[in-house]
Amino acid sequence: MKNTALALVFVAPALLFLLAVLGWPLVQALVFSFQDIGIIGSKGHFVGFANYAEVLGGKHFWFAFGRSVVWVVGNAVVQTVLALGTALILNQKFPGLRVARVWVILTWIVPTVVVVIIWRWLLSTSGGMINPLLMESGIIDRPVGFFATRRSAMVTLILINSWRWFPFTALMMLAGLTRIPGDLYEAARIDGAGARRRFTRITWPLLQPTLIVLGIIGTLLSFNVFDVIWLMTAGGPSEATETLPVLIYETAFKGYRLSEAATISVLTSIILMGFAVFATRAMTASEANR
Amino acid sequence: MKRTVAQSLVLYAGLLVLVLIIGLPFWWVVTGSVKLPQEIIQRMPTMVPHSFTLKHFEKLLQSSDFPVYLVNSIVVALFSMVVTILLALPAAYAFFRMAFPGRDLFYRLILVAYAFPGIVILIPLYGLFARIGLVDSRASLVIVNVALALPFSIWMMRSFLGSVPREIEEAAVIDGAPAPTILLRILMPLIAPGIASVAIFAFISSWTEYLFASVLIVSDARRTIPVGFAGMIGQYQIDWGLLLAGATAATLPVVILFALIGRWFVSGLTEGAVK
Repeated sequence: MKNTALALVFVAPALLFLLAVLGWPLVQALVFSFQDIGIIGSKGHFVGFANYAEVLGGKHFWFAFGRSVVWVVGNAVVQTVLALGTALILNQKFPGLRVARVWVILTWIVPTVVVVIIWRWLLSTSGGMINPLLMESGIIDRPVGFFATRRSAMVTLILINSWRWFPFTALMMLAGLTRIPGDLYEAARIDGAGARRRFTRITWPLLQPTLIVLGIIGTLLSFNVFDVIWLMTAGGPSEATETLPVLIYETAFKGYRLSEAATISVLTSIILMGFAVFATRAMTASEANR
Repeated sequence: MKRTVAQSLVLYAGLLVLVLIIGLPFWWVVTGSVKLPQEIIQRMPTMVPHSFTLKHFEKLLQSSDFPVYLVNSIVVALFSMVVTILLALPAAYAFFRMAFPGRDLFYRLILVAYAFPGIVILIPLYGLFARIGLVDSRASLVIVNVALALPFSIWMMRSFLGSVPREIEEAAVIDGAPAPTILLRILMPLIAPGIASVAIFAFISSWTEYLFASVLIVSDARRTIPVGFAGMIGQYQIDWGLLLAGATAATLPVVILFALIGRWFVSGLTEGAVK
């Protein structure tokens, strides 16, 4: 009994803190979405579902949602490929392994602004080194403006964000890889299974649970990415990279339509929660079937 | 396991690609920060600088606001780190080593925090901070950074606490030590790696936080690096030397921190994570 009280004393500070700083504002956001607040700090009146009708009836929200889906899927594909390759490498034994496992995450520990400066510089049409490299190797025949067209801006941003995040994902995958018993590989070798067969029959199936969990967390994390997009393109060119977080930011802090922004953010939260619940259910269901 | 020659080749080729993808951009930035402007914008980058100058760093430290941003970032990150540890440690202990009503529910609620875009709470939080006079204060950033880092920090402590044998605590209980003493005296040294990885996670999330810092801080004198430095990109006619020097300086503190305790963080991520 005494222990229970003590446990509550231990949890209470963290829990109350999170309730005050995360929980309460969430409720507030919901309240704001039913009001008509413009500039931050001004008072609003209850307007019912008017904001929802406007947001869902307009095209901005749906276009931004579409771009968010492209963004999430693109990041998932690129990061999974890069991270899986990296995790497989870091799961081998080689001199310098410990150093490699620590410093692989370098791209993730620097502020976004550093990432932005690196890639603006490397990709710039005057003095950047990516263009000359691509021209030298014959892939392109004149300098490309990576953020000039709608499609290339999105692709470039996805690649930059993936560059930043794949090492983090790789370490999480490595966790899954190290849990696969080494005996399995040994047994497969004795049975004469080659490297490719060992990958498709052991590594890949046994890594599935890890990949699924990472897929869910990664989707939530990359959906909410704001700073790289904002600092690289600010949603441009002509809104081509305006994902939902960018739209919310613009609506609230550039357009001064706070309630509308709150409405979009509530809708975004509902979408993400829905996804998380659905994905977790699907995961548990597929585990039960196994 | 022995590798065939072909497998070794694949492995080392993969490693080379990895080093190039991750290391080369940073190498160019760091070496670029000491090159003369003509060399920085050369068509093909030089791997080893042909020129050497410290004038970009001089300009950065003497005639820009970068030092102010740097100090702010360090102060905010250190405070965020300490508060996160103070809140995460007892909470994690209660979650993973004790029983109390509502434990599973609370735990799930904490993980749910990740489903929400940070921007959702930004708008109401700004209003709240405005009312209690915290807008444009570094304290507001500490509060936000702790809240953002806390859920993951608690979760990360799980594997570290799990690796401590229960017998050690039980022996202490039999000896009559009260729980806070157990936590402090006996567990602390054993879970030091866990504390280190929470520290590094909290520091890095604070160090890289942009969204809240861009809205909650108004005056230049209180800006942190992610926002202040980003403002410098357009402020001067793109001065690559200055920006590369700044990028180097903004990277250095986390690199030092990582060199000291980074391996604990990596083991915190890889061992027992994803559950």
